Amino acid sequence: MSKKNKKREALSGKPKERIPSYVKDLLKSYFEGIDMDDPEKGILICTETDMNGSMEFSKGHIALCRDRLFVLESEPVPGEVHFFKGRETLSSKVQTVKREWTVKEYSLADMKEVKIERTVGGGFLVLVHKNPDDEEADGTAEVIASFSNHRIGQTTRVERLCEKIAAKEEIKEDESEEKEEEFCPICGMMYPDEDRKICPRCMNKKSILFRTLGYLKPYRMQIVLLMLCILVYSGLNIIWPYLNGVVLYEKVLAKNDSFLASFGIPGGKYVLALGILVLTMLGTKILLQLFGILQGVIAAKIVPDLVKTLKTDVFSSMGKLSISFFTSKQTGSLMTRVMSDAEEVTGFFIDGLPYFLVNIFTIVAMSIVMFLLNPILAVAALVFMPIAFLISWKMLPRLWHRYGRRHRATRSLNSKVHDNLQGARVVKAFGQEESEVGRFDKSNEKVRSADMAVLNYDNKFSALYSMAENFASLTVYVIGAFLILKAHSINLGILITFTGYVSQLTGPMDFMSFFFRWYTNCMNSAQRMFEIIDAIPEIQEKPDAIKLDHIDGTVEMKHVTFGYEKHKPVLKDVSLKVKSGEMLGIVGRSGAGKTTIVNLISRLYDPQEGQVLLDGYDVRDLSFETLRGYVAMVSQETYMFMGTVAENIAYARKDATREEIIRAAVLASAHDFICRMPDGYDTMIGSSGRELSGGERQRISIARAILANPKILILDEATAAVDTETEQAIQQSINLLIKGRTTISIAHRLSTLRDANSLIVIDEGKVAEEGTHEELIAKKGVYYKLKELQTKALALKGIE
Amino acid sequence: MGFKQFEGADEEFNLEQMEAETEQMLRLRMITKDNATFARTKGGFVSLDLSESIAAEHYDRIRVVRSFPFTDRNKYISIRTIDEKSKEIGMIRDLTTDVDPETRKMLEEQMDIRYFTPIIKKINNIKDEYGHAYFDVETDQGPCKFVIYMNSSSVVNLSDVRLLISDLDGNRFEIPDYTKLSARELKMLDLFL
Repeated sequence: MSKKNKKREALSGKPKERIPSYVKDLLKSYFEGIDMDDPEKGILICTETDMNGSMEFSKGHIALCRDRLFVLESEPVPGEVHFFKGRETLSSKVQTVKREWTVKEYSLADMKEVKIERTVGGGFLVLVHKNPDDEEADGTAEVIASFSNHRIGQTTRVERLCEKIAAKEEIKEDESEEKEEEFCPICGMMYPDEDRKICPRCMNKKSILFRTLGYLKPYRMQIVLLMLCILVYSGLNIIWPYLNGVVLYEKVLAKNDSFLASFGIPGGKYVLALGILVLTMLGTKILLQLFGILQGVIAAKIVPDLVKTLKTDVFSSMGKLSISFFTSKQTGSLMTRVMSDAEEVTGFFIDGLPYFLVNIFTIVAMSIVMFLLNPILAVAALVFMPIAFLISWKMLPRLWHRYGRRHRATRSLNSKVHDNLQGARVVKAFGQEESEVGRFDKSNEKVRSADMAVLNYDNKFSALYSMAENFASLTVYVIGAFLILKAHSINLGILITFTGYVSQLTGPMDFMSFFFRWYTNCMNSAQRMFEIIDAIPEIQEKPDAIKLDHIDGTVEMKHVTFGYEKHKPVLKDVSLKVKSGEMLGIVGRSGAGKTTIVNLISRLYDPQEGQVLLDGYDVRDLSFETLRGYVAMVSQETYMFMGTVAENIAYARKDATREEIIRAAVLASAHDFICRMPDGYDTMIGSSGRELSGGERQRISIARAILANPKILILDEATAAVDTETEQAIQQSINLLIKGRTTISIAHRLSTLRDANSLIVIDEGKVAEEGTHEELIAKKGVYYKLKELQTKALALKGIE
Repeated sequence: MGFKQFEGADEEFNLEQMEAETEQMLRLRMITKDNATFARTKGGFVSLDLSESIAAEHYDRIRVVRSFPFTDRNKYISIRTIDEKSKEIGMIRDLTTDVDPETRKMLEEQMDIRYFTPIIKKINNIKDEYGHAYFDVETDQGPCKFVIYMNSSSVVNLSDVRLLISDLDGNRFEIPDYTKLSARELKMLDLFL
């Protein structure tokens, strides 16, 4: 049984305990006659901590019951390894060392709250005491547990459960359970990335290889042809030294009549034989060239095709992914790499794999031929091969590493230059040209030293490698000469054939030495690609999704709780309702969660709790067509795609007529500035085209929304980035746009919301106030203060 | 400007008061032993009483933040409120001279918690695989095994010789001077330099 299988068996036999048995033993005295496993009376949740009160790494636990909280701390055990994310395994969690524990008990009735405070590398749990009788002690805070970032996620669950208990809310079963799938089921190692459930240790490379091979299926014929070509090519390469050496010297020049006779050449006609041999040799060389060309032609036919197929596959899968996939930092870098991955994978399968097979064939065939010709010389020729192989096996990765460093240094230098050109105004304004030269010099010096390192190592490598090669040929020459002169067992022809083989063997050997690294790189690339191709979007259309032909446009949120990261809710229990055709204004400081509300309504994300309803239907039940067809958004970030102005306006409705496009532009007060541009509606915009100003872009995106003619319109700070005059113009367009539609408008400037039927104020993820403008003013709360602030404090002196 | 400060304020909107608050925000207040008294609280925190010479204020708990955590750990220590807004109460220009030794110790304890960073003393092994690097090191906090992403932001040069390594969760590890490591350790680390 393999080691892996044994491990799997050992782990599967031990289901993970919710509460470790030693924790139960420690807490036994507190739970007389009560079942600790019962979430109602016993322990609700038991989490781990990894630091003690003296800020040392050591194991600890927090156990929460409905009425009290236990904190278990231990003294650090010298020499004990501390495992962090990605290194922890199920077996490293098993308690093996004996340690000193201290148990502290806190009653939930005596505390105001339990909250986590984050530090730079971790956090601590703070308990705020409640003591109504003693004013001095009331509200005092105390640190009760410490942990690194590794354990902060678990501890937030304790924090949240405490909150729920205090609010007497119902606790669902899954809230107290830890996710099981964080660990690889085979080796028990924790996944380095929760969102990518791939265990690097157990990743099945074989299946990736075969799956990638599947992409080659349509090119079966070409691949077979390609292999054949390479095979013939290397076969001819084996024949050439034989013709050039043995046949020429030993048979023809040695006037071997019986050899000539076997080819039907009458004895004595040596010149004829020589002529035929020369022609054969010439033919061999021509064939070699021909097959070389053919091989290149076939490869050139397959490669671009395959790269295209792979890229299309990846890109179309990327489009299906949820927005969260794109915003998470780690996957973001994954995306940009994936396109070059397609090339890497194809390159390997066309250039790498066939040559690998052929090189094995060449090495084996050549060795056999050599041994048949002369075993002593064969040993002499082959004895240095492993050394050459070893040299490149050992040194090539290091050489690449140096190349990589030079690449990085050059890139950093280039970006410094780029940075400087971009900031030329600032550099000049502050007179920092000199110091910038200094900074440049520093980077330049790094490139120089990286370059030197490459050259030095490259020289070293080349010298060593060719030395090994030369030793090989030298040995063959020396032994060959000895055999010819002293032993008379061979003649010149064989020696020449052998030297030909020796020089041809180094190529395949060299190839083999870096093939395995190439293989690993390719498998990594392929794995990243498949990961995206296979990724299951979080936001999915239900198979039986409802399609609506008409909607009224009522939007409602019911008790929605949501956070981009599960443990950090951005919206807490938010409820709101907008009637059909009405306008809701959302006010709140930045970071309060306004844009998140919009993201949920347009279903870029799904709420963790609660519902978002459209015409009374849960948005999760509606088809994407309905959802995207009736909801449009004008946001602060106006993205212009590469293309003409007309194409950008018609982005959501490709079938729009020219007149419709112009009408939309007129309504968005964009028509005038578009006509002023020399190329009118055909003006190219986007990354390579004409630069538009913020206001112009904003107006084009409003035209886009007008043309889309949505029933529900979302305005997310639509006028925040433009000057006052433009804002006025855009505001007019918006007023036209919102007629007859349900509108949700987010704004900093309250003046933009004066037409709103109702308003809500969001603060710290909660609805702080709601009502009409008049109601909120009368309330003299947050909204009132904000309004006063904007009209009085920000007003210019002497104007109002 | 946020809403917090308006909360529960029933009185009429007061422009002057607001302008005063804004002005306060724009001022740099220096705290020294002459105008402030720090004291340990029972729960392991530090409280602050300001004398009347700057503002007669009392804080049950304060947060201690370094302005230059990497380059100047004892200078320009910012004393802030513990609520989410974390407003600055004042600044200590130099911890070594401007406060008494007892206060300094108190504040350093708070900062030790905040900036907790194990120091790597020895590298046992680094293995890079599939976009992650697996570290096996000895630190002043005992042996640690952690994983980092293979990208430039995981290992940061704080100076020519000082490295800060952040693992998958953002736990930090520091190498104060990598040139002092052995040739074998340097070879393993070479990938990140």
